[in-house]
Amino acid sequence: MKAKLSVIAGAGVPAGAGAAWLAAHQPPGRPTEPGALLTLLVGVSLLASGLASWRARPENRIGQVMVFTGFAWFAAQLTEASAPWLNTIGLAVQSVWILGLVYLLLSFPSGRLQGRLDRALVMIGLIAGVGLELLAMLYGNKAGLHCPGCANNVLQVVHDNRKARGWINLQHLVAIPLLVTVVVLLVQRWLGASAAQRRAVAPVLVAGCATLAALTSTVVLDLFGDPLGALPANVYFTLMATVPVAVLFVFLQRQLARGMVAGLVVELGEPSASRDLREALARALGDPSLELAFWFPPENRYVDGDGTPVKLPDDDSGRRSTFVERDGQPIAVLLHDPVLEHNAGLVQSVCAAASLALENERLQAELRARLFELQASRARLVDATDAERRRIERDLHDGTQQRLVSIAMSLGLLETKLPEQAQAARPLVRETREALALALAELRELTHGINPPLLTERGLPAALDELCRRAGLPTHLDLALDRRLPDQIESAAYFMASEALTNAAKHSHGSEVRVSVSFAGHSLTLEVADDGIGGAATTSGSGLRGLADRIEALGGRFTVSSPPGRGTTLRAEIPCA
Amino acid sequence: MRVALADDSLLLREGLSRLLVEVGFDVVGLAADADSLLELVERTRPEVAIIDIRMPPTYTDEGLRAAKVIRQRWPAIGLLVLSQHVNARYAIELLSAGTDGIGYMLKERVSDLDELASSVTRVGHGGSVLDQAVVGELVGRRRQADNPLEHLTDREREVLALIAEGRSNRAIAERLFVTDHTVEKHVKNIFGTLCLPQSPDDHRRVLAVITYLNSQ
Repeated sequence: MKAKLSVIAGAGVPAGAGAAWLAAHQPPGRPTEPGALLTLLVGVSLLASGLASWRARPENRIGQVMVFTGFAWFAAQLTEASAPWLNTIGLAVQSVWILGLVYLLLSFPSGRLQGRLDRALVMIGLIAGVGLELLAMLYGNKAGLHCPGCANNVLQVVHDNRKARGWINLQHLVAIPLLVTVVVLLVQRWLGASAAQRRAVAPVLVAGCATLAALTSTVVLDLFGDPLGALPANVYFTLMATVPVAVLFVFLQRQLARGMVAGLVVELGEPSASRDLREALARALGDPSLELAFWFPPENRYVDGDGTPVKLPDDDSGRRSTFVERDGQPIAVLLHDPVLEHNAGLVQSVCAAASLALENERLQAELRARLFELQASRARLVDATDAERRRIERDLHDGTQQRLVSIAMSLGLLETKLPEQAQAARPLVRETREALALALAELRELTHGINPPLLTERGLPAALDELCRRAGLPTHLDLALDRRLPDQIESAAYFMASEALTNAAKHSHGSEVRVSVSFAGHSLTLEVADDGIGGAATTSGSGLRGLADRIEALGGRFTVSSPPGRGTTLRAEIPCA
Repeated sequence: MRVALADDSLLLREGLSRLLVEVGFDVVGLAADADSLLELVERTRPEVAIIDIRMPPTYTDEGLRAAKVIRQRWPAIGLLVLSQHVNARYAIELLSAGTDGIGYMLKERVSDLDELASSVTRVGHGGSVLDQAVVGELVGRRRQADNPLEHLTDREREVLALIAEGRSNRAIAERLFVTDHTVEKHVKNIFGTLCLPQSPDDHRRVLAVITYLNSQ
């Protein structure tokens, strides 16, 4: 490979030197030729960039096309030779390098023509550029071939300069729409391209289109006998020299992108990297539209960082997916611009470099998804418990309590109906009635504990007010809440206050309790503080643990501060959607 | 005395009706919810309406609201609200608009026919009734150490509770087996200690006491 390229480079030196010498010793009467400097500039640019690209991307034909075009460019300078055979060859191949340029632009960046239209354009170009030229050369000589200062055309069979000029003019008439079509096609592709694609091909397309436009204008002017002289031709030759440089620039940019993989590895090593993993990958791949999705085993599909399912793109959606695996297990998928397919090597190295970070991110996404589910199921449990409490309280109220009251009423009635002689039974009836009253009182306390009716009927402020009035220790209530909140939040806050007040009365040995409730920024804050001995703990099995569970199930925060000798403060913050 | 009765439970409605008839009241009609109660009251104009707090459709405080409507439209009708829960807040809400002819009683109390009869009669005569459980809660509340209530004797606290229940000096004297004069002395002491204005009217002093208890 290296040897082959060296041989080609070696062959380029005499070719370039020869062409430059010919251009420097240009006979008079050929106004549109480039001169020695431009000849060398364009040729060396094509050869050097072509060889460099060939070496950097051997699988891509672009480098070969540029090298071929470079030699064709030098060969075209044979039109300056005074030896008839050399001059004849130069005339025959003088348009071949233009074909090379068209092929290069149409097939960039893959090096392959994209369809029938592309192939047809190149074919027509070949017929017009070489076929019609040879046809003209069968008839014409010197001025008949638009080259009055040329040496004798050795291919001439019939002396008919008019016919020769006709073929040459036909060649130009075909060339103009052909070149215009190529420019339109390229502009169309540019407009239809994604941001990443544009960035990848912009320098080449701009230089190429400018060159073709300039070329078209010289062909048009050629038809009218060059009214502007050498100016447009020199512009177009100069532009031509920029095309291979642009190609090389694009290719080297991709080489640089590969260098960024190393930078990526370093970046991913930083602790904050996981948060910006997508940005880091997008930067390394040069595709700002890059998206990441992670494999979520419980549901056998890909999800984004928040756990939302992600649909993979179809083939015709204008997006491509690259799957990342680790030890044969899917980790993630990169959704990116199709242009990255031309640089599969880079994508692979980036994926390999980032696979550990991707696996890490995937685990985090999975964790978040599971946590979300867990949170939802805890909240459902609390809801179910609250509903169950309300149902039990209602059942007791409507059933047992009513029936007991009714029995008590019957007993009351019975008491008045007892005949005089059954006076002895009267104390027994009274005793039964009193036992029943006691049972009712206990049941009343029980149903109140299960679900305080005031909470359901009047809301948290009223229920807390009542709770504080019934508390075992003098209790001061500081209430800044003027609205009803969702049932489960009111319940959680109420039962926390209730448990805290009971604890304070039983264990704190304090003299008073302060309960404060406030609602701000979509979150309810409840604080119960006593002035007792402190030292409370949220170990398992304690009532505090149950409170914490209940608050946390609602997405809230529960904290206990209980330094020995300095009282106990329970604090809950519950978000309200 | 003509009485209307509203309770959504058929068992209690019929049972209570029998008890009322038994102790000599004239039950003019029964209602199962607040709307039919209002219609019944409109039609029969009873002297007392006995109302369950929790009734359809929401089973919260329909009875309480119906009582307020009756008080507004027909101020002369006595109201006795029955509750299955000790709810001091509702009781005070009910009594704070004026204690004349208003009562709040636990439902289970009705099995004591004497208690039932005296409560209905008291309300019917413009007096007030506050269930002893509610009063017990009001009096029993924990308070700051320097609260004036702490300076009352046990006997005085007992009298205070009976005042809050809506009982007259005579009824209190009977309950405590003391003379009217002794009760009057206790009442004077209590009002002095709590700095409440003396009132000769048994009815009005209930409100003063309840308001005092609730505010402390």
